[in-house]
Order: sequence, then C-alpha cells, then structure tokens
Amino acid sequence: MAVGELSNYVTLSAVLFFLGVAGVILRRNPLVMLMGVELMLNASNLALVAFSRAWGSMVGHIFAFLVITVAAAEAAIGLAIIVVVFHRSARVDVDDVTILKG
Amino acid sequence: MITAAALQHAITAADWEALRPIIWIAGGALAVLLFDLCLPRGAHRISSVLLGVTSLVWAGGFLVRNYHTPYAAFGGAFLSDGFSVVFQGAIVLATLLSLLFVYTFEERISSAGAVALLLWAASGAMLMTGAGNLLILFLGLELLSLALYALCGMASRRAAREAALKYLLLSSMASAVMLYGMVLLFGVTGSVNFSAFLAPPPGNPLYLVALGLFYVGVAFKLGLVPFHIWMPDVFEGAPLPVTAFMSVATKAGMLAVLARIIYVATPAGLANKVLLPIWVVAALSMIIGNLAALSQSNLKRLLAYSGIGQIGYIVAAFAGATALGLRYALFYLLAYLFMTLGAFAVIAALSDQADEGARLVSYAGLAHRRPMLAAAMSFFLIGLAGLPPTVGFMGKLLLLSSVLNAGYISLAVLLIVGTAISIYAYAKIIRVMYAPMRHEVVAGAMSATWPLPWIAIAICSVAVLGLGLYPLVPSAVLPLVK
Repeated sequence: MAVGELSNYVTLSAVLFFLGVAGVILRRNPLVMLMGVELMLNASNLALVAFSRAWGSMVGHIFAFLVITVAAAEAAIGLAIIVVVFHRSARVDVDDVTILKG
Repeated sequence: MITAAALQHAITAADWEALRPIIWIAGGALAVLLFDLCLPRGAHRISSVLLGVTSLVWAGGFLVRNYHTPYAAFGGAFLSDGFSVVFQGAIVLATLLSLLFVYTFEERISSAGAVALLLWAASGAMLMTGAGNLLILFLGLELLSLALYALCGMASRRAAREAALKYLLLSSMASAVMLYGMVLLFGVTGSVNFSAFLAPPPGNPLYLVALGLFYVGVAFKLGLVPFHIWMPDVFEGAPLPVTAFMSVATKAGMLAVLARIIYVATPAGLANKVLLPIWVVAALSMIIGNLAALSQSNLKRLLAYSGIGQIGYIVAAFAGATALGLRYALFYLLAYLFMTLGAFAVIAALSDQADEGARLVSYAGLAHRRPMLAAAMSFFLIGLAGLPPTVGFMGKLLLLSSVLNAGYISLAVLLIVGTAISIYAYAKIIRVMYAPMRHEVVAGAMSATWPLPWIAIAICSVAVLGLGLYPLVPSAVLPLVK
C-alpha cells in the first residue's frame, strides 16, 4: 500500500475517532453516548486493518476481530444497564442521573 | 510481530502451566454457575462462596509453583515471571477477601452470578498482569471491565444502577482511547509486542501521541488525578464486595501493565519525556486524593479518595524506573491490599442486606457498642495513614527511600505532605468512633452476625501487623523481557 493511501485511511479513522469522542462528551442521551464509544472502537478497527495492510502483517486483522467481539459484548451490557436505569422514566437523559454527586 | 514461525511454535505443557492459575479461576466461575443449578434453594450463597474460595486457593497454589520458573508462554504473549506472579497473587488474595463479603448482596440478587462475575473479572485482571502484547492486554482489560459494569449494578438501590451507568460510559470511553493509543503504537512500530516499543522509528511524532493516549487510559483505570472523577461515585454506588474488589484487584492489574511498560518497553532516550507526566500525575493524586478525603461522610467514598492517594504513592515509586522502586511498590501494593480490605471487612461486618454500614453517622460511638470492630477499624486506618507499628508505616518508609534513591526530592516531600493530610482524614473516623455516644443507635447497619467478615478482619489484622514487623519484600520481580 502506498504511503499516501495509508495516510488517507489513518486520517479518516482519526476523524471518526474524534467524532466518537465528541459524541460521548457533547450528547446527553446515553444511547447516543454509547454509539459514540462504538464509533471510537470502529475507528480503531479501520486504522488496525489499514496498518496491518501497510506492514504486511496479520496481527492487525486478528486484533480487529477481537475488538469487534468486545464491542458487541460492550453494547449488550451497555444497553442492559441503560434499560435498568431508565425503565421507569419517560426520558432517556444522563442529566437525570443525579443521586451520586462527584 | 507474529510471524509464520511464531504461529508454528508448538504449544507445550509449560505454556498451559503458566496459564493454569487463570484457567482454574475462570473454570471455577463456570462451576459456581453449574452448582447453582443443581443445589436446593438456601444452599446457593454458601456453596457459591465455598466454590469460589476453593478455586482461588487452588490457583494460589499454582502461583506459588510458578513464582520461581519464569516462562514466556505462547510465544511471549503471556509472560509468567516473578513480577506477574506477585501481582496475580495480590489479585487472588483481594478476590478471596472480597468473596467473604458476598452475603451483603440483597437476597434477590443471584449470588452465584455475582461470584462468577467476580471470578471472571479476577481472571481478566490476572491476564493483564502477564500480558506480553497488546492483544492479551486488551482482552484482559475488557474481561475485567465488562464483568465489573454488570457487577456495579447488582443491587436494587438506584445509586448502584447510576454507578453502573457512569462506570460504563466513562470507562468504556477510556478503554476506547487506550485502544486507539495501542492501534497507533502498532501502526508506528509494526508490532504488538511490548518489547518492540523499545526501538521506535526515530522522529515519528505519532509515537508520542500513541503513548499519550495509552497513558491516559491507564491513568483513568487507575483513578489517578485528573482522571479520578468517576471513582468516588462508582465506589459509593457499587455493592460492597464489588467496591472492595475494585479498590485492589482492578488497580493491581493496571499497575502491572504500567510497570511493565515503564520497565521493559520505554526507550532509554525517551525515558525523561515519558516519566515526567507519570510523576506529575502521581504527585497530583497524592495531594488531591487525600485533600478530598477530608470532607467525606461516607466510608466507601472516603476509601475511594484514600485509594486515589495510595495508588499515587505506588506510581510515584514507579516514576523512578529503578529496580528498588518496583520491589518496594509491590510491597506497598500488598500493604494497601490488607489495610484497605481490612477496612472494607469492618464495613461488611456492620452491614446487613438492607443497609451497608458505610455512612459515617452510623459509626458514632461504635467503640462503646462494638469495641472489637472499632479497634480493628482504627488499626487499619492507622495503617493507611502510615503510622507504626503497621505495614503501612514500613511500606511508606520503603517507598520514600526508593523515591529518594531515584533522585526525586520534591516528590518525596509531596509524599510526606500527602501522608500528613491523610492522617487528618483517617483520624476523623477514629474520633467519631471513640466519641461518647450522644444519640441512640442509628437504625439498621448494626445487626449482622455473619462470621465471614470476621475471618477477613483476622487475616488482614495479622498481615498488617506481621508484615509491618517482618517486611517480606518480594525479590525476583524484575519483569521478563521477550
């Protein structure tokens, strides 16, 4: 893979990563925040596969499979926790989660 | 890099030998769930705890055997050296003691599920201590974190669920940041092995960005200032056994990763650049953690802030990257384990299923109602404050000597200042317990009579006193290089 081509992939993955960070920090809906985290993980996947191609190594591909699996488990547990926290309220908003004050 | 040769590397019995403690604990978790199906109602709680304890003790036996036979298992993916065995031992001990508090879970919570998740979390943390490449590190970290997200919410209190949600959102974001750092490290060096990071290609700015992201994740999971905001909330909300587990086992896993990176994967030319932020973060944690502990009225919160300070002391010893610092940091980790879990054991002895005895008001005049418990709590707090004749004093003395030995005079001064502040925080609880009783006993929180926390209190007291008088500093702890 040419150097310019690699840097395109890495730039795209960095943009996706920062979109994910912005999603977690700026949005107040826990579902959207969780989607932000997933976006960050997928940005990593894209970079992993691109680097793996560039280095001619299989490790990055294997790593990406691991990350996909973990992301699925995280989404399952995350959605379960969100359901448990918000099942009695009509609104899903982290600003309502205020018993513990850090 | 995994090459074709490494893939053909035959897996021998010695490879499984290195993983055996982890396999026993993960298998124990399955056994706990299976027995829960077969046994009659009423026997669930005790059988889960017994099975969990058995598999942990068994794993501990294998650890003792592995201590003197360092081995790079699975082509260097999992390093079973003296270093990781000591950390794994600390995790096993912490899990064992936390299991003794499991009866404080509410009746409607499946105790088998909780015990199994605790065991899986422990095996994830143990995997991290021996990780020789980023894949195993990420796998261990997520096994630990995912189990803990679920464990934090295992109570019907709203606070527990809030804690689970906060921990999930913040911690998974930190994991993702750390993962991106790992990915960039792979991109820069072309390898996922820690040893490859010793020789980064010169002049690539991405290397420092990658390390920065990686360290942010590490600092978050360790709860170091300025990434500590989540800790008090999660510690307060989570069920007591989970808080106790998190205060030591999670930290031990991450400390092992941090130490391995500092000691075997930091290029000598970059050491100054990399170690500077580490000692700044350690100094901030020692001061701010202890300052914030001063104003807490909930013991779990107070122990969270004190934990931030105590982990800061340990990281300060790493910041010099000396062999002495590593040995003394490991000793202090064991000291912290016994002192903190001892304090949690006293809280557990004062808890019942309706109410965890963590509010400071319910400790008013405790010395007149439960003199033994008040004395035990005072002893552990004196240890945490670093006063003799406890292991806290001895450990802090050794830490101080290693920090001075590394040439960080200002860090040593801050360590002493942090300790001085913490003495006020701990003395406040002791004063409340020994003050004359002004009002009647606060309802609840004082009735439980289970023997299990007493076992934990006994183990911790003996260890805190014994290790204080005869400090057994582990010797063969320098991490293996592969």
